[in-house]
Amino acid sequence: MLQLKSGFTALAFGALLMGQPAQAQIKSAIDIATIGEPGPLDPVTVTSDLVSIITQHVFETLYAFDAKWEAAPLLASALPTITDGGTLYTVPLRTGVTFHDGSAMGADDVVASLQRWLKASPRGKLAAPAVETVTAKDDHTVTIKLKQPFAPLLPLLAFQNGAAAIMPKALAASTDTLKTYIGTGPYKIAEQKPDQYIRMVRFDRYASPAGAPSGYAGARKAEIEELRFVPVPNATTRVDGMLAGQYQFADSLPTELAPKFKGQTAAKPIMVKPFGWALVIFNQKTGPMTNPVVRQAAQAALAPEDMLLAAFGDPTFFQLEGSIYPQGTPFYDEAGVKGYNQHDQKKAAALLKQAGYKGEPIKILTSPQYDFLYKMSLVAQQNLQEAGFTVDLQVLDWATLLSKRSDPAAWDAFFTFHTFVPEPSLITIMNPAYPGWWDTPEKKAALDAFNLETDPTKRVADWKTVQGLFYAQVPAIKIGAFYSLSAQSQKLSGYTPTEWPFFWNVKVSQ
Amino acid sequence: MTAYLSRRFAGMVVVMLMVAAIVFVIARVVPGDPAAVMLGSNATPADVAALRTQLGLDQPLPVQFVLYIRDILSFNLGNSIFLNRPVVDAMLDRAELTSWLTGLSVAIAVLIGVPVGVLAAVRRGTLLDQAVTAVSMLAASLPSFWVGLTLIEYLAVRLGWFPVAGYGNPGAGLGERLHHLILPAVALGLPNSALIIRFTRTSMLDVLHEDYVRTARAKGLGPWAVIIKHAFRNALIPVLTVIGLTIATLIGGAIVTETVFGLPGVGNLIVSAVLRRDYPVIQGALLIISGLYVLINMAVDLLYAVVDPRVRY
Amino acid sequence: MTKPRSPGALLIARLLRRRIVVASLAVIALIVGAAILAPWVAPYGPTKMDIVHRLKPPVSLHWFGTDDFGRDVLTRTLYGARVSLSVGLMVVVLASLLGTALGLFAGYIRKLDAALMRFTDALMAFPDILLAIALLAGLGPSLFNVVLALGIVYTPRVARVVRGATLVLRELQFVEAAEALGASDARIMLVHLLPNLVSPLIVQGTFIFAYAILTEAALSFLGAGVPPTTPTWGNMIAGSQQYMNQADWLIMAPGLAIVLTVLSLQIVGDGLRDALDPKLQRLM
Repeated sequence: MLQLKSGFTALAFGALLMGQPAQAQIKSAIDIATIGEPGPLDPVTVTSDLVSIITQHVFETLYAFDAKWEAAPLLASALPTITDGGTLYTVPLRTGVTFHDGSAMGADDVVASLQRWLKASPRGKLAAPAVETVTAKDDHTVTIKLKQPFAPLLPLLAFQNGAAAIMPKALAASTDTLKTYIGTGPYKIAEQKPDQYIRMVRFDRYASPAGAPSGYAGARKAEIEELRFVPVPNATTRVDGMLAGQYQFADSLPTELAPKFKGQTAAKPIMVKPFGWALVIFNQKTGPMTNPVVRQAAQAALAPEDMLLAAFGDPTFFQLEGSIYPQGTPFYDEAGVKGYNQHDQKKAAALLKQAGYKGEPIKILTSPQYDFLYKMSLVAQQNLQEAGFTVDLQVLDWATLLSKRSDPAAWDAFFTFHTFVPEPSLITIMNPAYPGWWDTPEKKAALDAFNLETDPTKRVADWKTVQGLFYAQVPAIKIGAFYSLSAQSQKLSGYTPTEWPFFWNVKVSQ
Repeated sequence: MTAYLSRRFAGMVVVMLMVAAIVFVIARVVPGDPAAVMLGSNATPADVAALRTQLGLDQPLPVQFVLYIRDILSFNLGNSIFLNRPVVDAMLDRAELTSWLTGLSVAIAVLIGVPVGVLAAVRRGTLLDQAVTAVSMLAASLPSFWVGLTLIEYLAVRLGWFPVAGYGNPGAGLGERLHHLILPAVALGLPNSALIIRFTRTSMLDVLHEDYVRTARAKGLGPWAVIIKHAFRNALIPVLTVIGLTIATLIGGAIVTETVFGLPGVGNLIVSAVLRRDYPVIQGALLIISGLYVLINMAVDLLYAVVDPRVRY
Repeated sequence: MTKPRSPGALLIARLLRRRIVVASLAVIALIVGAAILAPWVAPYGPTKMDIVHRLKPPVSLHWFGTDDFGRDVLTRTLYGARVSLSVGLMVVVLASLLGTALGLFAGYIRKLDAALMRFTDALMAFPDILLAIALLAGLGPSLFNVVLALGIVYTPRVARVVRGATLVLRELQFVEAAEALGASDARIMLVHLLPNLVSPLIVQGTFIFAYAILTEAALSFLGAGVPPTTPTWGNMIAGSQQYMNQADWLIMAPGLAIVLTVLSLQIVGDGLRDALDPKLQRLM
């Protein structure tokens, strides 16, 4: 036994003395700390922000947003020609684009991918009712024929969330969640070890679009040879690991820990402003929350100001704002916001009584991986209980929350956030297929009017109607706007702060 | 010897069967239809019915149990719902880290526990003995996650001597991996050395009063020679049992420690499985870890024979 | 000559001879008192949030400061004692009931011994915390389920001690006499054996109390125990990790509460064991 033991110790110490990894350090590589294990990396069917962040390096769309949130060509060679009163989109494709498996991208791959997107992506399903056919006109041109004009089509095609990602025809044949990942992006997946890392390496035969980099659009170059996305579910560990130089980038950090970066040389904080808004979404398909009066009671009971303060601590990181669009953007409308930030437990109790609520437990889904959402949900639980709600707070892994929320029987409310998007119809809850299932006749009429309208001034007026319904019917409650804190190593250069961090055109010094 | 071995082995098989039965019962306590749970929310009733037949869930319970044992014997512990792969594969993927962590912690616990225990016994009743008793009792009262968090804050974050979390880069060498494991191993091993100290001390005290130790002393052997050659060798038997028990405790403790230090090991897999409602993983982990425990205890029993030839079977 | 004293009085006298045990008993009494009186002595409500006054360092208004939701840490520590101690106590009661039944049957009825002991062996093959996690994953997190899970987890420890003691007791003359007189098995177990099991049960119960508090805290920390807004010591530590460098009182108050309680319980358990009959000592 003693001999065994000392043998083990010798082994351990010997290994310690060897120190450096045997592998030579010629490759440039960075470690990116993410909020957790993303699950399957299907950019089309999975709409989590984490999956979008990771997969945008691997899969590409026909268009991409530039710095001004305008769609710019990515796999397409130019913006589509729109004819026939806005019902015929002709999309020219770039030539010489190669998939990670070595095959060349052709029009048939694009057609199959778009058809998969229309069937399987929650965002594609939004466009599907307006689409009549998607066909290959020739090997480098695709046409999309619509039944009626549909203004959000181009922004939807450019969006990397629930993306209209282009993949080989064979892969696009099935709407099942992808198991192999073959795209056209600057990086290709090398290895996915659940809960440990996702390793992607530079794709040597990548064909970049032309033009100066702007936002997600323009030329892309994989400067760093290897990207590793490391799941670090504990938010504090993400900060500490950045400070210790273990990671070169970390996402979604607790804003309260921003002061820790003061006087540090290894890393610097990055604030993205505007970033997004936090919200709690109610189940309008089954359960007690289907009653609009109960939802109004919840709206009356919540204290967004407390929730924001508990979640972010430092007021420079949030904005108590009821308008879905922030001040300074065309769709900003603070006048139509009625019922925001009430914190009126008496009114809530009265509404509950009026609704005939009998103390049915309200199942609220939350996850500690987004620290701010978790804290908001704890305050909400307190607010709702004080008003007379019975709350069953279910703490889940984020990826599990995402899969559970599509089952109407599993929940009554869940916490999430929405990143800033230029086009209101891209907002998830506008989609009747999105969990929560906001699909009242009033909302449908208002949204259809908004989507058919192409005149920008009239669209603003139409949007006000939609936002008015958001506050009257309470499909969800906006808690407030917030700015995100991430951090990058001082060794990184060329990083552009965005909602969905990307690492092409980023360099790392050794 | 052979008779003893076969009896011991038969006992082990019975315990293993009981373990499987307990896990089977726990699996049936889980809310909802296992087939529906496994398929997720997008499954059609037809899919669920098909999987029920495939898993044998439509059979009577005793038949289900037999099928279950058959699956276990062919190392089929079901599929992780979240990871969409066999539980055994997912566990094996993470076993290396957990083995290292447990091994290092046992080494720390034994290297501290045994010498300190012997010393306390030899110096019985002195201030040293009392201090050892007090400190070991304190160590056994510390929540390991609290110790872990404190170690991270002071030694990793403030002083930067150790990495904060994780297991290094994908290409990291053994040295870097071990560097990541030192703090977790200390957080896990230190509280567990307390039990070994106390057992070693008691066991040594018993032996030091035995006749043969007095005889050895009377023969004029030096005090440490007596302690090491005669007393310690015999005191080792109960101590071995405790080390066996400690290994099992440490595997359980690794669940907490791996979470505190963000180590992607078996323990972390289990805790994630709770947040993911990934029941097959939890049940698979129960089976594998308890199976290991039974095997380790069997091994410890057999070691008695090596250490003490007087043990009769 | 002193007059003969009852075994109970003798035990207490032996126990009180050691100052450290007395001190530990005093600490336990203090914590139990605080737990019972929490609703009256705690300055605030345990779940009362006051976000504006969050993360305030210890001051006269908040002796232990406030946490990230502006809740009073002293109040939550006191209420935490209430939860932790009642979980510990209920676990001891449940494990003692189940374990005594198992142990008595195994120890007294020879036919059942092998089967029951293999069953306890099997239960002990699961690491405490893993078995608790597995049970709670199925049952769902609630205070009641935590007690149930930990009660099952600690049952075999009681069963082993009770069986061991029963094996010794059954050979003693008074049991043989009762058997000769034709007493039923049930009568022997309840009337003759059970009263003699009280001392080892108390000792074992004290240790289980301590382990249950530690395990409950670990479960809460992992998010597998009582719901996160319930004030338990484990939950308090779990929520405070982020603030360690700016508000270390958040982790210190509940952490020290756990250490003090568990340490005192272990010292008392050790003292009890030493003060007990040396024959029974060996069984533990």
